[in-house]
Amino acid sequence: MFTVARWRQSLAWRVTGSIVLLSIMIISLIGTALNSRLTDGIFKEKLNTSLADARDTTQSVDIQLTIAQYQSAAVTKKMVSDIFQVPPTVGDQSGREVALFPIQTAGSSEPNYRGISNLLSPASIPTSFRAKVRTSKVQLWQRTNLDYLNGRHIPGIVVGNIVRIPTVGNYEFYVLFSLSEQRQTFALISQTLWVAGAALIFMVGLISLLVIRQITSPIRDAAQIAERLSAGDLDQRMQVLGENEISRLGIAFNEMAVALKQQISRLENLSRLQQRFVSDVSHELRTPLTTLRMAAQVIYSSRTKFEPAVARSAELLFAQIERFEALLSDLLEVSRFDAEAAVLELEEIDLTALVNRTVDYVNPSQERIITIHAPTEPVFVAADSRRIERVLRNLITNAIDHREDKGIDIYIAENEESAAVAVRDYGVGFTPRDAQRLFERFWRADPSRARVRGGTGLGLSIAMEDAKLHQGRLEAWGSLGRGSQFVLTLPKRAGIDISTPPIDVIPTDESRPII
Amino acid sequence: MTLIMVVEDDHDLAEVLGIVLNNAGYEVDLVNRGDEALEVFRSQNPDLILMDVMLPGVDGVELVRQIRQESMVPIIMTTARGETSDKLAGLEAGADDYLVKSQYQEPELLARIKVQLRRRPTPTAEPLKIGSILIDQVAHTINRDGKVIPLTRLEFDLLVALAKDPGRVFTREALLSEVWGYQHAADTRLVNVHIQRLRAKIEYDPENPDLIVTVRGVGYKAGQS
Repeated sequence: MFTVARWRQSLAWRVTGSIVLLSIMIISLIGTALNSRLTDGIFKEKLNTSLADARDTTQSVDIQLTIAQYQSAAVTKKMVSDIFQVPPTVGDQSGREVALFPIQTAGSSEPNYRGISNLLSPASIPTSFRAKVRTSKVQLWQRTNLDYLNGRHIPGIVVGNIVRIPTVGNYEFYVLFSLSEQRQTFALISQTLWVAGAALIFMVGLISLLVIRQITSPIRDAAQIAERLSAGDLDQRMQVLGENEISRLGIAFNEMAVALKQQISRLENLSRLQQRFVSDVSHELRTPLTTLRMAAQVIYSSRTKFEPAVARSAELLFAQIERFEALLSDLLEVSRFDAEAAVLELEEIDLTALVNRTVDYVNPSQERIITIHAPTEPVFVAADSRRIERVLRNLITNAIDHREDKGIDIYIAENEESAAVAVRDYGVGFTPRDAQRLFERFWRADPSRARVRGGTGLGLSIAMEDAKLHQGRLEAWGSLGRGSQFVLTLPKRAGIDISTPPIDVIPTDESRPII
Repeated sequence: MTLIMVVEDDHDLAEVLGIVLNNAGYEVDLVNRGDEALEVFRSQNPDLILMDVMLPGVDGVELVRQIRQESMVPIIMTTARGETSDKLAGLEAGADDYLVKSQYQEPELLARIKVQLRRRPTPTAEPLKIGSILIDQVAHTINRDGKVIPLTRLEFDLLVALAKDPGRVFTREALLSEVWGYQHAADTRLVNVHIQRLRAKIEYDPENPDLIVTVRGVGYKAGQS
């Protein structure tokens, strides 16, 4: 695994690997060719001397046997046995053995001489070769193994001749030469070639690795610096040495980093300006608006003393200032999100308690229109209670506004990683297409209806931003005439990814398709 | 007659506040600059101060600090921005409560003022005890080892609330409703800041408090000692 990963990830290792692989192929080709040329040469040399030697030996045996037939039996025996008096092959020394076999011919009465030197097994001379020699007029040779009766095997060459002795008959005469010395030379040559080849490949690998490193290490540095840069450390720069391609890369990279930093700081500046603007507008608008509202309140509280038209105007004035105020604070909240100036203040809160409190606040009347379904144990989440209360208040107020005199159910549930609140109403509902647009700013499902009900048109988009700020989710399900369900899911601790929310956005009583 | 000092740089807002408070039966002193406020405070000795955080002359936070050095008078800070840092700065300097200007509605404002001004009825002359602290509910003073420790009215109420029911764990929301008179959820850091201030005054070692104990994840209770 490690090597595979390394191969995949490192250009240097990959290129070096390819080079080594190719070198192995080329060097083994050259090595094999060299080896066969050398061994062929050595073998031919040995063969030539062996053939000459065999010819000489055959001639001398021919002469000896010819002479021997005119001698006394004892002398003949001595002469024939002398033929086989060949110094034994010692160790792997290059040696030579002889073998003599009579060729059975009709009418010959003379004793047939046969013999083989130094415990050599007659099986050393293949029978097929003997058959060829018997019918041949010329000297023949073949590779064979010198098998000894004591179990030794030596590679060698057998050279065969026919010895014709007039009146006595024909003999097959074989001279066997050991190739053990050549074998050793071959072994030495191939060993040398192996060692040289391996050393060569190792050197090629090492050199290419070093050379490639020279190229890849600046690339790797550049990659590391780019990673750090993208992680937000805008002061990272590449080292530029010399004037080669790598340094050109470095220069271009550094220029990019500078441009990036300038752009980011420009944007940061803009964002800071925006934040200050928001805060200034807030202060500048709030004070006159507060004065306006307090004054309107004074007028409003004494409206009974006015004539009806003025009294009604006082009411309208007061209500519209309220609305203006709500709109202003929602707008400021939205621009705080846009400027990314919204700060999360996390604390451990009991979601059930927060829901109860919010319900009491939104719907303090005795009429029980809201039913809360919560686990008996408290449901703790790390959350910003102000923001979550705002989200809940918004969802519950919306549900009350759209419930059409039906009840509202609030479900609270949790699992290992997250906790959720679902607000379900059975009122007007909305189409699935509207579900996607609900969270857009100032979007209203039914403009005429919304005007009567009030609200800023920003509530759900702020709620969505609040949920996102918690890395949570706010989802909506709706069906015309069957009501709607909003589900707020919050991670229990910051940084947890929500995989399966405790409550599905589609209500359980609606999950089956309607037939 | 109860006198309220209003420190607000916006003349019109100050004036309308004056009208509202007058209508509610309070006497009002209007001050427009931070650097004039201390002098007026010393000469008029108001029962409550309602002041803006942003003031010309002397900044509101600094003004609170100066007043706190000589008086335990209830102080309600008002802020236009409602940013957390503004609220905390005022509270840490010694304000008892704060109002974001968007909450500036007559009933809300009057309710806040009323809570700060109320004196708890003292049905029992029995002094309360919490550790080595003796709380005299009649004289409205507390004693530690024979020495009187000055507390703001709000700090006193907070301590009494905890001491009256030793062993009970108060959630921050419960304290907000009991001591500050909030009827619905508000910023619970209001409680945290005041508990810290109270500890700094009465604990032997405020870093390791044993008179007012934090119950993790729930709230606070009076220590068992």
